Amino acid sequence: MIVKEFLYIMPEILIAVTLAFVIASEITYEGEQLRLIRVISLLGLGSAFFYAVYSYQYGSVPIFGGGFCLDGFSLFFKLIFITLAALSIASVGQTREINLGRRTEYIALVLAASLAMCLVASAADVILAYLSLLFLNVVSYFLAAFGRRSILSTEAAVKYLAFGAVAGALFLYSLAILFAYTHSLNIYDMHRALLVQPLPPRVMLVVFTFIFLSMSFQIGAFPMYLITPDIMEGAPTPAAAFLSVGSRAAGFAITIRLLIVVFTQPGLTAGHWEVLGGIDWTQIFSVVSGLTMMIGSLLALKQESTKRLVGYLVVAETGFMMMGLLVLDQVGIAALLYNLVIQVFALTGIFYVLAFIFDEIKSDRIQDLRGMLKRAVFECVCLVLFLLCLVGSPPLPGFIGKFALIGAVIGSGRYPLAVVGVMSMVLSSVAVTRLSYHLVGEFKKPATILTPELGRKVYLAVLVIPMALAGIFAGLVLKGAGESLGFIFW
Amino acid sequence: MNHHLISLTLIFPLLGALLQTVVQTPRSRWIALAASLAASICAMILIASMQAQNADLQMTESFPWVGSYAITYDMAVDGLNALLIVLIGILFPVLIASEWDQKVGVRGMQGLFLLLQASLFGAVCAQDLFLQFFFWGLSALPLYFLVGIWGGEQREKAAFKAMVAGSLGDALIFSALIVIYYSVDPHSFSLRELAGGKLIGKEFNFLGLELPVSGVAFVLMSAGLSLRAPIWPLHGWFTEVSQEAPSSVFVALCAGVVPVALYLFVRYCYVLFPETLNSASKWIVGVGILNLLMGGICAVAQKGLRRLLAFICLSEVGLVLMGIGSLNPVGVVGAIYQQLILGLGLAGFGLFSGIIAERTGNAWFMNEGRERVLGGIVTRAPVVSVVAGLVVASLLGFPGLGGFVGHALIIIGSYSIHPLTVLISGGALLLASYYLFTMYRFIFLGEVSQKSESFQDLTLRERAYMFPVVLSLLFFGLYPKPLIELIRPTVLTVLSTVK
Repeated sequence: MIVKEFLYIMPEILIAVTLAFVIASEITYEGEQLRLIRVISLLGLGSAFFYAVYSYQYGSVPIFGGGFCLDGFSLFFKLIFITLAALSIASVGQTREINLGRRTEYIALVLAASLAMCLVASAADVILAYLSLLFLNVVSYFLAAFGRRSILSTEAAVKYLAFGAVAGALFLYSLAILFAYTHSLNIYDMHRALLVQPLPPRVMLVVFTFIFLSMSFQIGAFPMYLITPDIMEGAPTPAAAFLSVGSRAAGFAITIRLLIVVFTQPGLTAGHWEVLGGIDWTQIFSVVSGLTMMIGSLLALKQESTKRLVGYLVVAETGFMMMGLLVLDQVGIAALLYNLVIQVFALTGIFYVLAFIFDEIKSDRIQDLRGMLKRAVFECVCLVLFLLCLVGSPPLPGFIGKFALIGAVIGSGRYPLAVVGVMSMVLSSVAVTRLSYHLVGEFKKPATILTPELGRKVYLAVLVIPMALAGIFAGLVLKGAGESLGFIFW
Repeated sequence: MNHHLISLTLIFPLLGALLQTVVQTPRSRWIALAASLAASICAMILIASMQAQNADLQMTESFPWVGSYAITYDMAVDGLNALLIVLIGILFPVLIASEWDQKVGVRGMQGLFLLLQASLFGAVCAQDLFLQFFFWGLSALPLYFLVGIWGGEQREKAAFKAMVAGSLGDALIFSALIVIYYSVDPHSFSLRELAGGKLIGKEFNFLGLELPVSGVAFVLMSAGLSLRAPIWPLHGWFTEVSQEAPSSVFVALCAGVVPVALYLFVRYCYVLFPETLNSASKWIVGVGILNLLMGGICAVAQKGLRRLLAFICLSEVGLVLMGIGSLNPVGVVGAIYQQLILGLGLAGFGLFSGIIAERTGNAWFMNEGRERVLGGIVTRAPVVSVVAGLVVASLLGFPGLGGFVGHALIIIGSYSIHPLTVLISGGALLLASYYLFTMYRFIFLGEVSQKSESFQDLTLRERAYMFPVVLSLLFFGLYPKPLIELIRPTVLTVLSTVK
């Protein structure tokens, strides 16, 4: 039923149509069409969002001969990606970093990236996975390089490209080895083949290492975390916001699907998996997770650039979220998804306020932030809230996410990793305190108060309210994430 | 059955804080005061409708919050936390009234006070460890901003230090929570379910070592709390904050947050770790005595009112810890009673020192050569002098004032530990009467100095907010019976699980 299968990929089709419209109108119209383009693309994304919610009723179905799968897991990620893209497009009019003539291009790139991310989330065929990842990364290089005049932006894009090329090659190579052993491109077929005849341990080690390295590039984990702060610092701030969540979330989507399907088998109890083959890769994962957390939060302490500081905090977050995956159970992965939801709002908010501050003071040095609280109270208070939420300070929803992750590793008996996690939480919050220390400074000095703008307040409220709701109704969100996983595989 | 009084006490200040962001300045102050007062009235009704001679948790309100982790919104009062509710109810309207004329960002300041009030109420009433920690963590944020924005010259540094110490402390408590949560089956945060020695004999494996859950959690929690309340030698941030924070904010810290930290310690110790408490009680008393003495000795050397207050707080905390560790009904009742009284006493002290600092330019009463700077204020401003005298007398434990009841009960109770503790605490009280009277003499008595020549007496607003503090000190000193009867049954019940 080919028609029905097109219905299943309706969100992607809607995004693609919107993208086509944006590109077409960019070519045909001159000048003042930005508002129309923005509204149309938001409408397109909105309809894709609602269709994705609607698609939950289909359950989990393989499409196009099993190469593409529609399930709760992919839909959950699609909702995240579409929200993120909509938030990014909604904010594009309010920043001066992307100049007026190029905003349509930016919107087109964001739409293309979100299309790629949606494909990544659904890919069950390694070739599709590889191609859509490559699609995503190519668009991401453009986004990182969007501040063309800035040296930092160009440097970030070039580094991103170099790392991406290496990661892509490693990924492709490991997939080739897998194909050679299993004669299949579909990951579920691979799984069945590996159940019958596991990989020899040495081959398994090589394949896992390669896949892991390429994925650590995508999610920004040790040892490929090095570019993440560069991208966050170099890319124009709105693009950094989009990449910091989107690219990593897509990485997590493919990592979870690939690792869980190819390298584990369902355990004895429901919602648990066990390592398949001779190598317990969760040990490698836990070491890497601890290292990523510690490196991220320690280096965040010493940064002088706010965007770079946030970049290192993002690295630490990646380490945290890896804890949710390595326990190999549904509770852990649901916690990971919950954290992603929180980060969509927190990171978008952080970068949004940073972009606003950057527009005002033309600097992202921490020292130059002094006195900002006085000049823009609402924005700065929101910034501190977002930052504290990101690092998981107790009263904010991020804390529930951290608790769920740390709880997951403790549930599997990995106490040392939990200790590292708590230490990293403290270090991250010290880094955030250091930033807000400068923000708060010189409050009593007279300063020109920046004119409050309704659009900005509305945008921040749009971020803060869902973030708070995700904390108040944490039970529901966690349950939703768990249920999305419920009909993921097989 | 669900009562909604506790939730109302939480919602009013939160609503008030939210309104501060919308309403403009002259009206916003009234809204702040009204919100805080409404919460206090709810709190007083709450306490008044509690049944005496009932050791159980009362006025319960409970519904699930995060179902998949068995986290519930569970609020209740019993003898251990009733007095803290009274204290917070009295304290915060007073603080909001005392910052009525704040020039810089008055809306922000009062909004933060309201947020602090709500978070402390929540931390006191919560009967679910996660919820309790949630509110306890929340209480650190308003304080950080209050110190960092409205403090003195070095305010940002002081706020930074306080925040770092606080987040370290919170992380320790958080670790303890997780260890406890995963050691019981089914996993639970509920204090009701964890009560009565559920953790006895539970162990967990850490790097190949089998560690007892309750011992580790006890150490983590005490260390965590001691980074939020001043415990010698971890009090560095506290004295720094005392120096930099505006007096009202420091009152919120030492009369609001510190008693709540002590309460959390009591709750954790007696409800979660009764058997660990048995072996650790000597240590608690030891730390208490150390604090009592170090606080006293350091207070003698102080020349300014701010640091003096910090060290008085330190030594009062020591006294309460002595009571907590005494494991004797009288001592524990005294410790809990003293949490209320020390809060009120320190609040009174902080407020009148704030008034003196505001009128004379600084809060020093001695110069470098330990000579008088102020003096003779009693002739210029008799009302301030009487108020200050009553507060000082209560801090010293004079009969007829609240401090007497608390001190007497703790000292009687501590006799059961060792007769020597009575001597030590008596010595510390003597020391206190030395430094407090020196302070009083240097400021209020003697020759009128140049600075105190034009000292104004309390204005109507200042009288209005000092009045409840002094009145409650007198009332709780003269008629402690109803409150003690609220505490006693619960204390006897929890003590029966310890022995």
